[in-house]
Amino acid sequence: MQLIETTEQKQKQKTKPNLKGLLTTATCALLGTQAHAEVNTSDDKWRFDTAIMHYNEADRVTATEAIIAANKTYGNDEVLSLKLTIDALTGASANGAVAQPDAQTFTRPSGNGQYIVEGGETPLDNTFKDTRVQLTGQWTQPLSDVFTISAGGNFSKEYDYMSISGNTNLTRDFNQKNTTLSAGIAYAYDVIEPEGGIPKPFAEMVIAGFGSDEFDQAFADSRLTGDDSKATVDLLVGLTQVINRNMIVQMNYSYSSVRGYLTDPFKVLSVVDVNGYAQSYLHESRPDTRSKHAFYAQSKYHFGHSMLDTSYRYMTDDWEIDSHTFDVRYRVLFASGHYLEPHLRFYSQSAAEFYQPFLQQDDVLPMYASADYRIGELDTYTLGLQYGMPMDSGNSLSMRLEYYHQAPKSDGSASFGVLNDVELYEELDALIAQVTYSF
Amino acid sequence: MPSQHHQQINTRKVSCQPRVGGFLVSFHAMASQCELLVDCDDQTLAQHLGKIAATEAWRIEDKYSRYQQNSVCGQLNRHAGKPCKIDQETLLLLNFAEQCYQLSDGLFDLTSGVLRKAWHFDGSDNVPNQTDVDALLPFIGWSKVNINKQLLEFTMLKSMEIDFGGIGKEYAVDRTVLLLSQWLSENLLAKANSNKTIPFLVNYGGDLAVNGARANNQAWQIGVERSGLNQTNTTMVTMREGAVATSGDAHRFLLKNGHRYSHVLNVKTGWPVENPPSAITVAAPKCIQAGFLATLALLQGKEAEQFLTEQDIKFWAIRPD
Repeated sequence: MQLIETTEQKQKQKTKPNLKGLLTTATCALLGTQAHAEVNTSDDKWRFDTAIMHYNEADRVTATEAIIAANKTYGNDEVLSLKLTIDALTGASANGAVAQPDAQTFTRPSGNGQYIVEGGETPLDNTFKDTRVQLTGQWTQPLSDVFTISAGGNFSKEYDYMSISGNTNLTRDFNQKNTTLSAGIAYAYDVIEPEGGIPKPFAEMVIAGFGSDEFDQAFADSRLTGDDSKATVDLLVGLTQVINRNMIVQMNYSYSSVRGYLTDPFKVLSVVDVNGYAQSYLHESRPDTRSKHAFYAQSKYHFGHSMLDTSYRYMTDDWEIDSHTFDVRYRVLFASGHYLEPHLRFYSQSAAEFYQPFLQQDDVLPMYASADYRIGELDTYTLGLQYGMPMDSGNSLSMRLEYYHQAPKSDGSASFGVLNDVELYEELDALIAQVTYSF
Repeated sequence: MPSQHHQQINTRKVSCQPRVGGFLVSFHAMASQCELLVDCDDQTLAQHLGKIAATEAWRIEDKYSRYQQNSVCGQLNRHAGKPCKIDQETLLLLNFAEQCYQLSDGLFDLTSGVLRKAWHFDGSDNVPNQTDVDALLPFIGWSKVNINKQLLEFTMLKSMEIDFGGIGKEYAVDRTVLLLSQWLSENLLAKANSNKTIPFLVNYGGDLAVNGARANNQAWQIGVERSGLNQTNTTMVTMREGAVATSGDAHRFLLKNGHRYSHVLNVKTGWPVENPPSAITVAAPKCIQAGFLATLALLQGKEAEQFLTEQDIKFWAIRPD
């Protein structure tokens, strides 16, 4: 609906542009004269970017995302950006338990149902379904010749999750705008309200007697509260430097500190006996603070008809997850205005100190543990290609197709018994397709 | 055409003669008779202002003429297909052209000159065939050019051509007004410590602008001649501020099987617009705006007058009998 309305707005603007006003603005730029007092520069047009993205993991999550971003520059170089994102996710996601030679029965996190995973299969909860609506807004304006300030907010809501955040950022130009320093701060507050409540750390998944009063009582006993929250503070400093006519580099450092509920209420760990057979499943438990440092460097280099964009990010946190991301994009421009952009991304992370693929029956329960492969040792790579073309009146259309491969790796825990016969670190492939239209 | 350029070089002289209320400075530039009317009683001052005006007009002619191989325009055309370095002024002009392209929904296009290869408006019945026109269309279209604002580079397809003719003369008028006003405020008004300026009118081949009203708030009265129209069709324009520009040429058309083909070409089809006025004169704060609006109005064909009326723009139109 939003898309249709904005298209109509645009057509209205096209049929009745305020030629005199727009021309005056264009002429002032050309002749370097002051804007005429009668000119209403807020008549400047909105620019829109619309995109549809489809993400499909083989046998797992399917996500479809629609984005409408609008952007308007006002007379004094103030910029207002608004963005609406709607995601629909369906499919199955790993619940953290290990595969077994025999079928396993699990209770859904809501307590309202159970599901059976066949022998040899990585346990996936197949009721993963959510719709997310996200709205972001950002206002940027120059304060003086060298200072620019920006402030924004974000709100997103899905069935069991809500996030609200605000940010502000100040930049200063030096050296005839060849050097820009920036500093920013952001605060976010998130609330999770899973159906079935927040499980107690290491509470055993209640399985037996499903449907009985005893089951309901035991399930209720395994829960703490209905919802929980976390708060995140991000600090960022950055430097952008123009090296020469062809090259620009950017470096950022950011510090992020989160406090609150950082555990995933949907994830469990298998407790296995000496032969590797699962005896029970315990809800995971993570620390309630996490602080992260990230270093980021990017360079863009313009050749005559192409542009090379390379970046590297190093992140380290007090959960002992260290990660490296390399990203390379090479845009080849054709004289017709069309372009082709291959994309290569490689990501590698080490495991959190409390990550373990399973718990052993005789071991002492650690303080924290999670079998979520996303905080285990992991390599991923992405291969993609984007094709863009200009359309009439300065509009543009682009298409992107990417292949994503994810390879969780062993953290070194020795597997034994029947665990030797199942795949503990299942790899995952996904395809991403996106179409973007800007007008 | 190069011979014409040669002739212009030889005739780069500025003459100054008295007229009622002041002086008339005249010179030849951009294939047009150029005039500067100065309302003052100091001939040296009038001559000096005339020199500033002529220098600027010739500078722009040399820089943006498509007939001169070494002009910026000539170089951009010779290097079509490759990125060309451009200076800040050219970037601003190209940006302006780009905005005109967008405001006109693609009708105003500096790359349309390629159509001259098919159309020769010499009053004959020499209408090109569709194949000839279609063959040119791939080399026309502002959407096919790329302006890199960071690198100051301009790129268009090989075999494309750019022509500043649509905005060059009007730009020269506005630049001249700007330079003369600056010179006056720095050299005369500041010293005399007075707000009283010297009224002047810049007229480059019918595209003109003033810096304000004449003494005692009198309006300037100018007869705007249109190429190819007889004296009775001269429009008397009265102005106290701003600029006027004219688009159209009554002599340039083709006549075949009783159908009149105007010289106003639609870049999207490559064919003439049906029933445009012979000429349109438009008033606007700046000459380059007036020029763009006049051209854009002609491109509306029979709706030209309605288009300007709806936009609340002052104009004078002449249609063929």
